Amino acid sequence: MRALVVEDDPLVGDAVRRALTAGGYAADHVTSAEAAKSALHTENFDLLIVDVGLPKEDGMQFVRSLRARGKVVPVLMLTARDGLTDRVTALDLGADDYLTKPFQVPELLARCRALIRRANAVANPLITFGGLQFDLARKEASANGQKLELTHREWSILECLVLNAGHIVSKEKLLSSIANWDDDISPNAIEVYVSRLRTKLGQAVLIRAVRGMGYRIDEVTPHAPEK
Amino acid sequence: MRPKNERSRSIRRRLFGLLLLPSVLVLAAGTLSDYLTAVTPFRQAYDQSLIDGALALAANVRMNADNKPALTLPPEAVAILRADSSDSIYYRVSDSTGALIAGDANLPEAPRSGVNPSRADAHYLDEPIRVVSYRTYTNAGMLTISVAETTHKRDGVRTAILSSSLVVDLLELGIVLAVIGFGTRLALAPLREVQEQIAQRSARDLAPLPLDQVPVEIRSIVGTLNRLFNTVSASATAQRRFLESAAHQLRTPLTGIQAQLELMVEDEAEAPKQQRLTLMLDAARRLAHTTQQLLTLARSDEAANLRWELEDVSLAIIVENTVADRVAAADRAGIDLGAEICPATVKGVGWLLNEAVGNLANNAIAHSPAGAQVTVRCGVEREVPFVEVTDAGVGIPPEERERVFERFVRGSNARGVGSGLGLSIVREVAQLHGATVEVEAGPNGKGTSVTLRFPVLSELLQPAYASTASASSAGARKT
Repeated sequence: MRALVVEDDPLVGDAVRRALTAGGYAADHVTSAEAAKSALHTENFDLLIVDVGLPKEDGMQFVRSLRARGKVVPVLMLTARDGLTDRVTALDLGADDYLTKPFQVPELLARCRALIRRANAVANPLITFGGLQFDLARKEASANGQKLELTHREWSILECLVLNAGHIVSKEKLLSSIANWDDDISPNAIEVYVSRLRTKLGQAVLIRAVRGMGYRIDEVTPHAPEK
Repeated sequence: MRPKNERSRSIRRRLFGLLLLPSVLVLAAGTLSDYLTAVTPFRQAYDQSLIDGALALAANVRMNADNKPALTLPPEAVAILRADSSDSIYYRVSDSTGALIAGDANLPEAPRSGVNPSRADAHYLDEPIRVVSYRTYTNAGMLTISVAETTHKRDGVRTAILSSSLVVDLLELGIVLAVIGFGTRLALAPLREVQEQIAQRSARDLAPLPLDQVPVEIRSIVGTLNRLFNTVSASATAQRRFLESAAHQLRTPLTGIQAQLELMVEDEAEAPKQQRLTLMLDAARRLAHTTQQLLTLARSDEAANLRWELEDVSLAIIVENTVADRVAAADRAGIDLGAEICPATVKGVGWLLNEAVGNLANNAIAHSPAGAQVTVRCGVEREVPFVEVTDAGVGIPPEERERVFERFVRGSNARGVGSGLGLSIVREVAQLHGATVEVEAGPNGKGTSVTLRFPVLSELLQPAYASTASASSAGARKT
């Protein structure tokens, strides 16, 4: 996996490059939109990490011109500015995700993984998520090498969660992924399916319920104690 | 009841006062001239009847046998002369030496003047009289015939004339005063309109006042006001740019330091320095946190002072963001973080609300024991949109519940490291949105529940503000 970091601040750029390298990426670091363009001319990247506040051509313009030229590479934007407006603008311009400085390294890596997973879902139907292997084309999944026997609805829910990994998926969204228009399933039924899924998945991945909001699937990686 | 000095500064009162004195004087002069014009002919007429009497007497003075002048008037004629319904008539005939020939002995004479008969006002028998003296030359020398009458009739007429003209003129004065009062009120109406326009606008409204409907007399004042608005608005824009660039300049290096330290802490090659690196990382995070809080405070101050565009903000989205961003942190602390979301919309600045609710959630997570529930909820209760964060933590003692909202003040139960700015941000953001902040004990009297209650939407959408807001949105900020 190749990643290109476009960040004019040397300390931040270096940190992001190192973090990506430590996360298993081959990462390059350039400090301007211009340099990024020439790098993109000669090589292919699986992921771009672009700072909004670049000198001359800023990150927003860069991403817009990138999309205008038909490049579909996933883009994560970094910004030192606050404001929900920026987030919306960035996403409208064609960025895939948005991270506010200061961010923490694990958060950055999680976002990068999620972006690549989503981008590759079409081209490469084989997804590895924590201890879970997921074949979108054949609708098969195995946990820690053991093939899972999933019902159609359980599969749909797991697929929905995995494709939105790192994000909370509401019960309504899960419901619409399994229900046809004429089906009458109560949101509470989701709880039943999720509970069955948890039993089948065992320790491979964690499906976390966020009270009042929905479910989120997480890789089971022991968290580094932060404080 | 207005204070006295405010009364004296009223333009209306000044105008009224200034116009009142001259118009009273003009009316008084009018009354006087009316009176004089009316009184003179009466006086002439009464005087003429006295003169007629004097001439009639003069015609009846004859030389008697001693060749002395004597009045040869029969007593009946004298009675006729003296007859009057309301006044007493007196007469006196004297010779050139002043010796009495006939009539009332002590009646004063009118002194000689350019005209004959001469007239004068005098007193006789303790009464004011009008006297006419006619001097005529006979064979017996000069005779002076004086006829006088008391002034009852004259006084009566004068009083009648005076009172009727006074009544008319007082009426006139009343009408003039009413017209002046009404006129000044009418003339000053544009001033009041401008005043109302300024009074109605929100404190953050710095749009210039329209000049075209303002009367010339106060156009310069309004112009000066507009220039002031512009200056304030420009300096505010400059401050906003400064804060934006300060945010950028501070956050970028902090991000670099923090990220580098995070990587070094994880790096096995740096193992011997692990402890120091961890301390530095901790410090960098605190610094980043405090910087963020200070920037938020500065910008919410600014948002409060300026006309920041208020948009429709969905509290549901704010709560979703707040919870989604903190699920990992809550996991690490073993906290069951959840949401209860009902649709609710307020007018506000989204990212500031995000910061405020985020601060409440951070506090709740930091101060709750492992296994406890922290719930962020929003909704509408009796038309009032609210957002609330409830925890089952250490709680804030009732006597501290006001003080914890001050800057850099931390509760006595506060745990971990904190800047003491979080709750003051909450309060400032709440004030900016016209919301109230209420701190109570959580469910079952344990922990803390902080509730922000927002103004009812329809109340907030005052027409005055809404109209100016749309006018200014062209110059809205871009972040």
